[in-house]
Amino acid sequence: MIVEFWGHEFKVNIIFGVIGGFLIAIVSSMFGFGGGPFMTPLMAVGLGLPMYLVVGSSLLAIFFNTLMGTMRHYQFGNFDLAFFLIMFPAAILGGFIAPQIAKRVSPIVVKRVAVAGLLILALNLLGLY
Amino acid sequence: MLLTTSSFDPVRLLLKLSDFEPISRRNFMKRVWISLVIALSATIFMMWQGGAFAEKPKDMAQAATKVEQKSDATPNAAASPTILIDKTSLSNGGTITVTGTAPAGKPVYIEVWSDDNVRVSRFDADVDKETGKRPYILYMTEQMPAYYKIFMPKDKKEALDGIKKEGKNWSVSKALKDLGADIAYSIPAKIKIERYQATLMGSIIGSRGDLLPQMDEKESRKRSMQLIKARFRSPDKVLSADVEVNPDGTYKATIKIREGLAPGNYSIAAVVDKGVKSQPVSFENKISFPNIYLSNAGTSLNLFWPFLLSLAISIFGVLMGAGGGFILNPLLVSIWPLPHTVVAGTVMPTVLFSQGSGIYNYSKIKFINWKLGITIGLGMLLGGFIGPKLTELITLDQYKFVFGWILVILAGLMLWQTTPSYLDKNKKEQAILKEFRRRAEETIKAKGK
Repeated sequence: MIVEFWGHEFKVNIIFGVIGGFLIAIVSSMFGFGGGPFMTPLMAVGLGLPMYLVVGSSLLAIFFNTLMGTMRHYQFGNFDLAFFLIMFPAAILGGFIAPQIAKRVSPIVVKRVAVAGLLILALNLLGLY
Repeated sequence: MLLTTSSFDPVRLLLKLSDFEPISRRNFMKRVWISLVIALSATIFMMWQGGAFAEKPKDMAQAATKVEQKSDATPNAAASPTILIDKTSLSNGGTITVTGTAPAGKPVYIEVWSDDNVRVSRFDADVDKETGKRPYILYMTEQMPAYYKIFMPKDKKEALDGIKKEGKNWSVSKALKDLGADIAYSIPAKIKIERYQATLMGSIIGSRGDLLPQMDEKESRKRSMQLIKARFRSPDKVLSADVEVNPDGTYKATIKIREGLAPGNYSIAAVVDKGVKSQPVSFENKISFPNIYLSNAGTSLNLFWPFLLSLAISIFGVLMGAGGGFILNPLLVSIWPLPHTVVAGTVMPTVLFSQGSGIYNYSKIKFINWKLGITIGLGMLLGGFIGPKLTELITLDQYKFVFGWILVILAGLMLWQTTPSYLDKNKKEQAILKEFRRRAEETIKAKGK
């Protein structure tokens, strides 16, 4: 498939992209997280697209997954309204506060801290410590 | 405007409020209004919930006293034990002293259960010892008591400690048999359990499978014990050795009802033998603000803690460029006794709004390729249809285990993003991105004029 973006044309292996998106969507909706961190490398590295094209378009693709996943979880009775009402305002508020902090911290430092944190959490979940 | 969602790259950090005045200010106001409406409706909801609970206790207390009198009036009918409780009302847990008389020399078991029910499911994919095949049957009930516990005579303590040592592989039916508590196990044995024969095709199209015929009493009892384990996880949640039985048949037990349980009516009955039990007496557990009850999860908690946790993690999520769900979900299932199905199903919609507003902002500056996004989105739509079905087929332990590996992969990806070669490439990309954004804004401004 040929994709046109701001006057540039990109050739995309769409079958690879759709199958990859499909698999990521299964896992992410099964475990209840957004698929962004896996979707962006898939499109940037797997499909060889530049980042300025990936940021917006991957968000649109993920939105389909979140929408469908939400509906299906609701259908299976996995949605708890009171719990949602606690977390939703927190997520919105976080979206306001984060940009203020982002100006003051280096994204690389944040990422390194995140790597350490994720590994500790992962080891805990795997029962290794 | 910065997005709270799971887009991945630091380039997002460039898309700041200040860069893009006209649209973001309008958006900002819109967001403020929406947040206010949400906060307001949440408050009203909590108050309504609190108020509804506050009205009940009076009736409950009266009902409870009546029952007590009744059980006192018929002492030793068919040698059934008597039971008396010192309180009829608790506020988010507490201790209740239970006293009574049972036929001398008999062990006394006390069964406690809540009227409030929750849904529990368990997918049976273990190899059947007799046939050697995997059954792939999903057992599901809507009627599992949100709280259930059997209190046993104190001399069972050692045996109970032995069961606790078995760890995750303990079996409810074996534990009940070993402790002699199976005579007291009556309420969950009667719940209605539905079972579905899962098929591969059925799971793909998102069906639970064919509803199998109702189980007989014995089978239903056996399956209910497995569901008890799926719901309560560890032995100390359903079993406890606290009943002091005197040689003359009188007994006394101090029952501790922990925090974070379902509000409403609870029943207590003393059991000495199969079918020989006291009339149930009841007490009321009250939950008041800021504790709220999550009816779908069967747990009540202080709402500030999950609020603060999700706030902290959503901030960190935006900073690191990965959605908060990656850290939030495993923490939620580890800290609180929440089922992983409810966590997955409730965290997912929280990002819908921020994703939607992100798409709106990007589309304003024509930063979305609709053809590419929708094509891959259709693949993801199909995946999102299948995934939620699979959540209820795995146990909490499997959920944690797979999540652990997902986080290892994610950590690897993030580490790769801090390598010099990636940063170098990213620098160029960011410069291009900036250039594109400048052009996009100029186009909009030109149109605006």
